[in-house]
Amino acid sequence: MYDEIFAKENPAKNNPRFWDELFLMKVNLEYLESKLESVDGEEVQRIQDNINSLFHHCVQALGEEHQIKVVNALQTLCALFRGVHQKNKSASGFDIINMLMGFDKAEQRMKDLMERLDSLLCGDGSESLKSLCLKLLLCLVTVTDNISQNTILEYVMINSIFEAILQILSDVSSRGQHGYDAVVLLALLVNYRKYESVNPYIVKLSIVDDEPTLDGMGMVVHQALTEYNRVHSNHSLSFISRTNEAILLALYEAVHLNRNFITVLAQSHPEIDIAVTPTTPTPTTPTTPLGTTPPSLDMMNNPELPLDPNLQTSNLLITFLKYASIVMQDTKDEHRLNSARLCLIILTCIAEDQYADAFLHDDNMNFRVNLHRMPMRHRKKAVDKNIPSRPLVCAVLDLMVEFIVTHMMKDFPMDLYLRCVQIIHKLLCYQKKCRIRLHYTWRELWSALINLLKFLLSNETTLLAKHNIFHLALLVVNLFNMFITYGDTFLPTSNSYDELYYEIVRMHQVFDNLYCMVLRVSTNTGQWKEAASKVTHALVNVRAIINHFNPKIESYAAVNHISQLSEEQVLEVVRSNYDTLTLKLQDGLDQFERYSEQPKEAAFFKELVRSISLNVRKNVSLNTLSQDVLLKEFSTIS
Amino acid sequence: MDDTEPDLSPTPSDQNSPSPSLSISSSPSLSLPSTPSSEGVGELSLVIDAEVAQRACQEVLQKVKLQQVEGDVTDPQDRVGQDPPGPPAPALTPTVKPLKIREEVDDPEGVAPGSVKSARRRQRHNPSKQSWLLRLFESKLFDVSMAISYLHNSKEPGVQAYIGNRLFSFPHEDVDFYLPQLLNMYIHMDEDVGDAIKPYVVHRCRQSISFSLQCAWLLGAYSSDMHISTQRHSRGTKLRKLILSDELKPAGPRARRDPLTLTPFCPVTSPASGGEHSLSPSKRTHQRSKSDATVSISLSSNLKRTASNPKVESSQDEPVRLAPQREFIKSLMGIGKRLATLPTKEQKTQRLISELSLLNHKLPARVWLPTAAFDHHVVRVPHTQAVVLNSKDKAPYLIYVEVLECENFETSSVPIRIPENRIRSTRSVENLPDCGMTAEQRAGSFSIVPNYDNDDEAWSVDDIGELQVELPEVHTNSCDNISQFSVDSITSLESKEPVFIAAGDIRRRLSEQLAQAPTTFKRDPEDPSAVALKEPWEEKVRRIREGSPYGHLPNWRLLSVIVKCGDDLRQELLAFQVLQQLKSIWEQERVPLWIKPYKILVLSSDSGMIEPVVNAVSLHQVKKQSQLSLLDYFLQEHGATTTEEFLTAQRNFVQSCAGYSLICYLLQVKDRHNGNILLDADGHIIHIDFGFILSSSPKNLGFETSAFKLTTEFVDVMGGPDGDMFNYYKMLMLQGLIAARKHMDRVLQIVEIMQQGSQLPCFHGSSTMRGLKERFHMSLTEEQLQLLIDQLVDGSMRSLTTKLYDGFQYLTNGIM
Repeated sequence: MYDEIFAKENPAKNNPRFWDELFLMKVNLEYLESKLESVDGEEVQRIQDNINSLFHHCVQALGEEHQIKVVNALQTLCALFRGVHQKNKSASGFDIINMLMGFDKAEQRMKDLMERLDSLLCGDGSESLKSLCLKLLLCLVTVTDNISQNTILEYVMINSIFEAILQILSDVSSRGQHGYDAVVLLALLVNYRKYESVNPYIVKLSIVDDEPTLDGMGMVVHQALTEYNRVHSNHSLSFISRTNEAILLALYEAVHLNRNFITVLAQSHPEIDIAVTPTTPTPTTPTTPLGTTPPSLDMMNNPELPLDPNLQTSNLLITFLKYASIVMQDTKDEHRLNSARLCLIILTCIAEDQYADAFLHDDNMNFRVNLHRMPMRHRKKAVDKNIPSRPLVCAVLDLMVEFIVTHMMKDFPMDLYLRCVQIIHKLLCYQKKCRIRLHYTWRELWSALINLLKFLLSNETTLLAKHNIFHLALLVVNLFNMFITYGDTFLPTSNSYDELYYEIVRMHQVFDNLYCMVLRVSTNTGQWKEAASKVTHALVNVRAIINHFNPKIESYAAVNHISQLSEEQVLEVVRSNYDTLTLKLQDGLDQFERYSEQPKEAAFFKELVRSISLNVRKNVSLNTLSQDVLLKEFSTIS
Repeated sequence: MDDTEPDLSPTPSDQNSPSPSLSISSSPSLSLPSTPSSEGVGELSLVIDAEVAQRACQEVLQKVKLQQVEGDVTDPQDRVGQDPPGPPAPALTPTVKPLKIREEVDDPEGVAPGSVKSARRRQRHNPSKQSWLLRLFESKLFDVSMAISYLHNSKEPGVQAYIGNRLFSFPHEDVDFYLPQLLNMYIHMDEDVGDAIKPYVVHRCRQSISFSLQCAWLLGAYSSDMHISTQRHSRGTKLRKLILSDELKPAGPRARRDPLTLTPFCPVTSPASGGEHSLSPSKRTHQRSKSDATVSISLSSNLKRTASNPKVESSQDEPVRLAPQREFIKSLMGIGKRLATLPTKEQKTQRLISELSLLNHKLPARVWLPTAAFDHHVVRVPHTQAVVLNSKDKAPYLIYVEVLECENFETSSVPIRIPENRIRSTRSVENLPDCGMTAEQRAGSFSIVPNYDNDDEAWSVDDIGELQVELPEVHTNSCDNISQFSVDSITSLESKEPVFIAAGDIRRRLSEQLAQAPTTFKRDPEDPSAVALKEPWEEKVRRIREGSPYGHLPNWRLLSVIVKCGDDLRQELLAFQVLQQLKSIWEQERVPLWIKPYKILVLSSDSGMIEPVVNAVSLHQVKKQSQLSLLDYFLQEHGATTTEEFLTAQRNFVQSCAGYSLICYLLQVKDRHNGNILLDADGHIIHIDFGFILSSSPKNLGFETSAFKLTTEFVDVMGGPDGDMFNYYKMLMLQGLIAARKHMDRVLQIVEIMQQGSQLPCFHGSSTMRGLKERFHMSLTEEQLQLLIDQLVDGSMRSLTTKLYDGFQYLTNGIM
């Protein structure tokens, strides 16, 4: 019968029941797709009417009561979208629309299609049908490599299915089955021509404030990340599983666009660590209906958390931090590098958010976060079990420190380092502003930062060929300036201020060398002149400290005839000589540039979305094959 | 018991002297008075309202009087009562007045309860003088305490029925205090007492959800000591079932419409009170608070409710009258049970926080904390503030609860849920410029709630555009208004001159800053409650309010409650009642002893809630955290010994020590280690945990033989054993004991009634009541009492056992 469509004649001419019968038959996707591909230019013009007609009837069939017909129609549509795009890769979007629907009718057809899909998704119909609808949408959204060139999506923008997606996410059972697809679809739709035009999905996503829906979205992301973490912990480090960029993108969009989503990050869940596949509905979801069930009934089927004492309480943020710690371990792979970058971007957004900062620093919300640490030769294997329960910001800082010490390599991920240091800076700014004295072992951070400076110095030439190392150096030095000038507002103990000086004095050589280097570069004329001179200015206080205390320490050693001063002795010298030291107040230490996606990150996101599209397309096609099973399910029902 | 027993006299101590009146008592005409009440028992559909009850009281009285007039000496005053029943008020007053005069003549003291007592005493010694009893019952002096006492002691059904009816005329709060006694009598005493009490209880249950639940919980708890087979068919269990079946609704529309009903039934919500709480008319239906959903669902009616039309809800609310609150309590208990299975404090704490965050999803609802003093709805549990308390194997925990005060929690509409994230725009910390907020939105965000649904309009495409526009942060205001404190970078921006700061200053500020807040405790995962309890209550309220989406509402309040699961709080409740009674006695007698009874809610024989004492930490926590002696801690907290602050704190300490020393002595409170004694911010000590009182003591180790806990550290705070304050302490105790002795009956009665049918360890043995009575030393002169106090104090001070016991606690429980 497919052949008849590809004939010139109107297939219904001889057989009035042609279309009815067509949708009763099992869809031969491959045949249809290959047929569409094999049609060449000339023929296209001739069979266009028939294809338009087929599309039209597909859309109509979606309204049928007969579920087989609906299934077949959905699959046929899928094949149509694919086939036509495959055939006309270079063709403009308009040509494709013309070929599928016909220009004059396109608007109406797509409106019908979207409305039908919307009612299928929101209705009480079969779950498999809903799943197919989502697959079709995913298929449609990913037919082009570059999502923004997919002109058909213009109709998806006009005829929004946003509400349908939200409904899926807000309901526990549908979220369990379709949440993943829904979230990925949403993430992709948000990225359609996001910089060029007004994307209604962005607008809508940014104003969602319905808790169950947002929680639902959080749960889907949480489960997907948990699953990844679980797989990772069950395999050796060498096992490289592909990171889930689509889910990460969805998390990013939610965090970046929706101010209300931040609360979801801190929403506690029991850790769903034990082999729960992301697609099974979890009865233990804490986000069970809010406005939907009455309190009395609701309280009776209290969604009690499983009674396993070993089960750690977790939340999306913790899971995300663990995930990030895994992803950031190895950034050599392109995908992993992208994922790591995206993780850091998400953390940047989080660190800028007041509410997020508030719960990160909440003294009452202590958690034990087991970050993954790269096994390194010169480092003792951390005893995981003894990590104390601390406010979450400690885990974020740990993660940053971990990244700093583990990525000083030839192929220097400058971009990631910059983000990393900026995240620390933002957190410090918050602590300074709110006078939060975090009990954190700042020493680890200081020594990591000093080591980073050391690395930059020793690899100056190779790094300078690719990167502006002065910018990074400036940020690092300014972190120290934050501690030096504003330490009184956020350091936990008086001793910690002494320790800061001790650390600087102890590692004075690094700072001395850095000063020499930047001084040299800034006195030469060259492209780095200005950048380097900024660092020289930033170093003024560090140098003042070194120049002030070094002689004191030496004379103390001389007077007391000690060759090697103990830490305690140095600290003593520091303590007794503060008063004669004057520091210069530097401008703008506690200010930072807020994150903005455009224009800086636009290219990155374009590439990322492209990569995600390719991946989703690949996986959707695999799934369509297995839909024979589906068909059988229906034939037995009907 | 049999009605035919020829003894009408209310006191069992009476001799069996037959009197003319007793034949009357068993006469059929006297059993008549129970008319309205016994009918009420029979068929519950009948409304018992206060008016009817009043009338019944009158009738009983009339009957009794008539009999008396016929058979005995007639007092001229009594004739007044013989008049045909008129309106209740005038019938009572004339009888009271002359009686009062006579009382005053007889008893020069004239103090109301005192005279009553003398009247009662006379009554005892002269059973034939039945008129005294009558007059007493009719007099203004006849209060709930006496009513309860006569109900308990009288074996005369007529008297019992009379008192049962008389209960209706007392203020609710007064009767509520004796609810445990009433119900325990109902459960464990004979038919007649039960019949006398029931109409009142049923009546009150119809009126009030919270009374219903109180009764149900107490009935369950006090029935639990019965044998299981008898328990099932007992009156208490039946009444409990009846209450929980929720059949005791406000009786029909007739009662509602009846404007003459004396006791106000919950009125149909007036539009005004409904409007008050209709915070945000939400147009999205799924956002509506859930209890509303319950209503419509449980009724399966399609009544469309809007916030502007709360009437529908209030009138349809009955089907779920009790359910939400019961479920709320059940969830809290469930959490406690699950926490108990976790091995470490830390895990418990984490689990608690996450469980509570789930609970939050179901709030606001028509639920409330029964320990609170005002009507309210619970809107949110700030879950991160909850702490697990120190306990060896149980998992009691403390939660803070945000509520909105309302006129009447049964009829006022439940507040609408405000999502957690709503708070973000109102946070006062939000000093950073809000990226992409238009002026219009910013203005709107201050009154978030009304603007709740206007998002769609407010967000235009331009906003999104702006969202992505990079706004370099401009610090327009220095959020540190303490400018000498870390000079803000802004200053240096303005003046191009370089600004210099001394490193020494920074370091000094750091130490000063840290020193300024020495009173916060350090976080200890093994003792999470220490920090939470140390934080001043006002500060905590402010902090939580700031972080709450409901915080901006004027009727927002913060409450706290300790949830106990697996603990029997019946003894605690008994102790609370005794403490409360003694407190009011001391107030009445104007002796400045200070004690703080904290409210107890008994939910069953092994669960309940406690109202936490705010601004107080245990002595154990004080010592462990501060590593100071008690006196040094006082000096640290309140200043040197000569300062006003210290002296006030010291006086508070002494007054509370005196109060609790007496309590400990009278009630034989044991297990007095430092973990069970709190110290509040004003210097008062507060004893908690009355698990071992009267006849029970921990592990029967024979420790703690001293009368009360008085360590040298305590004495040091008082200024040493020779100081004025120490003498003041002893004097207070003497005054306190004298006052308590004067009103001994009011204390004994509470305990005695609860002993009935009880297996509680505090009633172990047969000498509990005798021992308690003896400790009031009725026979001693004041001089002798003084000697006794001296001995007790001396003994306690010298007592090694107190010290020994502390050491024992340290070894076994790690309590310092």
